[in-house]
Amino acid sequence: MKLVSRNSLGWLPALVVPAVVVAAVIAVPFQAGATVDLPSKTPEQVLALVNDSTVSAFSGTVEQSADLGLPSLDLSAGMSDSMSKALPESTDGAIPLGMTTALELLSGSHEFRLYVGGESQSRVQIKDHMAERDIVHNGSDVWLYDSSTNAAIHLSLDLEASAQAKSAELKSQLPTDLANPAELAEHFLDELDPSTTVSVGTDARIAGRNVYQLVFTPRTNETLKTDTLVASVSIAVDSATGLPLQVTVLAQGQTAPAVQVGFTAIDFAAPNAGLFDFTPPATATVTEQAMPSPTEGATGDQPGDHSPAADEVPVVTGAGWSTIVEVPAAAMPAEVTDNPLLDQLTTTVDGGRALTTSLVTVFLSNDGRVFTGAVPLAALQAAAE
Amino acid sequence: MTGETQVQGLAIETRGLAKKFGSQTAVNGIDLMVPRGSVFGFLGPNGSGKTTSIRMLLGLSLATSGTISVLGQSMPARLHEVLPHVGALVEGPAFYPFLSGAANLRRLDTADRFAPRGTRRARVQGALERVGLSHAADKKVHAYSLGMKQRLGIANALLLPRELLVLDEPTNGLDPQGTREVRSLVHSLAAEGTTVFVSSHLLAEVEQMCTHAAVMSAGSLVAQGTLAQLRQVGESRVHLRTPDAAGALRVLTHLGLDPVLATSDAADEVVIALLGDTNWQPEAIVTALVAGGVRIRGFAIEEPSLEERFVALTGEGFDVVQ
Amino acid sequence: MSSSEFLPQTQTHTRARVGGWDLLGSEISVLFRRRRTWAMLAAVALIPTLLAVAVRLSSSTLDPGEGPPFLDRVSQNGLFVGFTAMVVAIPLFLPLTIGVVAGDTIAGEASLGTLRYLLVAPTGRVRLLLIKYAGAALFCLVATLTLTVSGALIGAALFPVGPVTLLSGDTISVTESLWRSLLVAAYVTVSLLGLSMIGLFISTLTDVPVGAMAATIVVSVVAQLLDVIPQLDWLHPWLFSHYWLGFADLLRQPLDLGSFGQNAIVQVCYVAVFGALAYSRFVTKDILS
Ligand SMILES: Nc1ncnc2c1ncn2[C@@H]1O[C@H](COP(=O)(O)OP(=O)(O)O)[C@@H](O)[C@H]1O
Ligand SMILES: [Mg+2]
Repeated sequence: MKLVSRNSLGWLPALVVPAVVVAAVIAVPFQAGATVDLPSKTPEQVLALVNDSTVSAFSGTVEQSADLGLPSLDLSAGMSDSMSKALPESTDGAIPLGMTTALELLSGSHEFRLYVGGESQSRVQIKDHMAERDIVHNGSDVWLYDSSTNAAIHLSLDLEASAQAKSAELKSQLPTDLANPAELAEHFLDELDPSTTVSVGTDARIAGRNVYQLVFTPRTNETLKTDTLVASVSIAVDSATGLPLQVTVLAQGQTAPAVQVGFTAIDFAAPNAGLFDFTPPATATVTEQAMPSPTEGATGDQPGDHSPAADEVPVVTGAGWSTIVEVPAAAMPAEVTDNPLLDQLTTTVDGGRALTTSLVTVFLSNDGRVFTGAVPLAALQAAAE
Repeated sequence: MTGETQVQGLAIETRGLAKKFGSQTAVNGIDLMVPRGSVFGFLGPNGSGKTTSIRMLLGLSLATSGTISVLGQSMPARLHEVLPHVGALVEGPAFYPFLSGAANLRRLDTADRFAPRGTRRARVQGALERVGLSHAADKKVHAYSLGMKQRLGIANALLLPRELLVLDEPTNGLDPQGTREVRSLVHSLAAEGTTVFVSSHLLAEVEQMCTHAAVMSAGSLVAQGTLAQLRQVGESRVHLRTPDAAGALRVLTHLGLDPVLATSDAADEVVIALLGDTNWQPEAIVTALVAGGVRIRGFAIEEPSLEERFVALTGEGFDVVQ
Repeated sequence: MSSSEFLPQTQTHTRARVGGWDLLGSEISVLFRRRRTWAMLAAVALIPTLLAVAVRLSSSTLDPGEGPPFLDRVSQNGLFVGFTAMVVAIPLFLPLTIGVVAGDTIAGEASLGTLRYLLVAPTGRVRLLLIKYAGAALFCLVATLTLTVSGALIGAALFPVGPVTLLSGDTISVTESLWRSLLVAAYVTVSLLGLSMIGLFISTLTDVPVGAMAATIVVSVVAQLLDVIPQLDWLHPWLFSHYWLGFADLLRQPLDLGSFGQNAIVQVCYVAVFGALAYSRFVTKDILS
């Protein structure tokens, strides 16, 4: 190309190429969400599709994001020191990993890689900056590995006791649920009750798959009016396999999803079995840890023990969307209630302090009880009286 | 210069070529006509727009208005067809100081897609020899003197046989010996049939080297043609040295001339008169002077010089040294 | 006119194209023959050397997670030297060397005056841009390879070498770790392609090479600053520096090529946009240097 005049076509590429690139950058996400037209199904048919799903092994990338309107705090830093001390299991360090991770998930967005090789094989990789946390579950072994500290924790499940129960207990303490849209969806499906309207939304594409959208909306008619912050919960169900691929929780009066967990890529081939066969690196510090049994009473000399004394059992009131959980004052460890972070997070309201998010409200009454639920603050205050 | 054949025989032709830098007009609508086979002097004082014109001829910068044709093809539209046949030295030589002279030439030769790789070394050697730099071929250019760089710049223009050479102030920084060498180089190139377009602010150089010339002044082309044509425009004049100035003035006035008293040295005074369109022969003037009792110590009819012509065209500040 | 036989000559016969891309070879040899290029490559090689020597000489061992990533593992396995050096060099040092090379491309020729001789040779303006870009891209590759290779060599010389633990906690063989090192070098090379094109564009704007170099380096610093401003999170995925440290994904098991792809897409966008700007600027530019 030779020298060309300023007013000739020479300047055209400088205008056209950036315009095309910007247009492509904007258009591609739209195209990904281009209209999908699947054969119509009733909500019952989609629910049946989920129930009949036989997918047991898959791998994929999951993106989780939360926009709860929380003040932006470095939760992991604030919690890992003080909160871990508050919990009786903290001596072994197993819980802080699960705990801080779970707390982290309440703000911002996160990316995981998820590998599921069957009922008792799974691996979650939390991608951190120049680091990674792994949770590998393989039969009776659970490995937690944190590359930033090069520390591994080995939990052995006692197979003689009810393996299922222990597995469930373990799962409740690990962020695996939050990382797996399929399991998260199961929770919502378990909770179906008459206060919920189920409908099928517009078909879409998630992680390159065509999906039905099951939309659960709290019933708003006069007789069964529910008082909740949740606007709706949608579950994207893969039309071919019935596997839920994405869960989106919308809060009242907020357009951005309050919580969204979904696959950005998924592969239904069984992952390489070697992935679940974790051997800690030779240089890592390994901690062996037996899982505490969920039914055994603790010795009672630890503060904030979980032994089910009458005055420490949480009380559940209400039902469905407007369920309120009340934790008696005696069940709250002092380390939690005295945590300075609490002051930062909560604001003073009538009768106590409150933490309000777009989806969940927590009310700490002046007498030390804690109420929480996906309901407006007033409902909690009413329950406290 | 209007005939069809002659127009086709132009190596460079511009029409209304102009270049503005902002509000400043560097080149003001020039119509250059450089015949093929000529050695064309592009003469003008510093800042008169020579380099600016050359940049436009070579497609380095874009004309504000006007058209350019080089070797019969329009520029810069046919740049890729034209430039392989043109060798150029523009605004002084420029090289990579960290490379040797020969490496610099090889580098610039690779930039020419029409230069065969196989003969590259030989051609570089030949060009260096032609400008007398063989001995310094492997020296880094930062160790070259200004004159050596100038020679290397000319060598670069000679890497391939060219139809047109454009040399912008090729003798800048050269010693008298170097200047003579450049002159003879230009003569030998012209003898091979190459058109040489050479810019200069030195009149003497142009007079000694060129067959044609054009004169630039403050961005405008003020004269153009063969050297003979340019000289013809001036007038012959009488140059008289005499102790009897008053008598001489009287006699010359009587002959219808318009004499003036010029300088006077110790004994004699000098009287100058333009001949104009009077047809007086020198012997007739001398006869009249002698008859009028004027003692003649020196008498000459001076032919017009290019120097005066250029002073007249470009103003007194013109640099006409040497 | 004496030589009338030249008068009727109206058509210039077209010379055959023979040279092709010789200029690319010349460009590469000029670039890598400059002392400045060697000095920058030597400085690049110095980063892993300094890191390794410092770890070797210090008596105290680092706690896990202390210092730059992987530094605490260096004393156990020399193969980590290269990875640590890469993390250290990416934010400033590599962009600095790329800024020097890419900023110099056109402006350097302009300031020497050789640009006008290249163009009247004639080198097509587009061809010159492509060759200059190819030279800068090659420098990116050579610089990252220099870092990787010198890291591996100094690591192997000063520390034991053995199977490498990935971020996921899995262990790979020495051979595979070398293969992954090369993949990391490829990733980092691709990462720098966008910045190289930005440098080339800036270089067409000026005749002062240091100005273009400084501006390119400033652009890379500004991009990294913007990347940490939370209010601009919509912009972050489209910053050319956003995926620079994403080569960590190549150190996970199984190998995650996702960010390699995303990074490549972002870099291609920058190459296209700034390539078009450089093209438009350069083909309309008056060469007055
Ligand atoms: N890049 C430029 N910007 C502005 N003015 C310029 C530039 N180059 C040349 N000029 C002006 O154009 C005029 C002609 O310059 P030039 O062609 O270099 O003269 P010459 O070569 O005859 O000495 C001068 O007045 C000079 O100041
Ligand atoms: Mg000049």
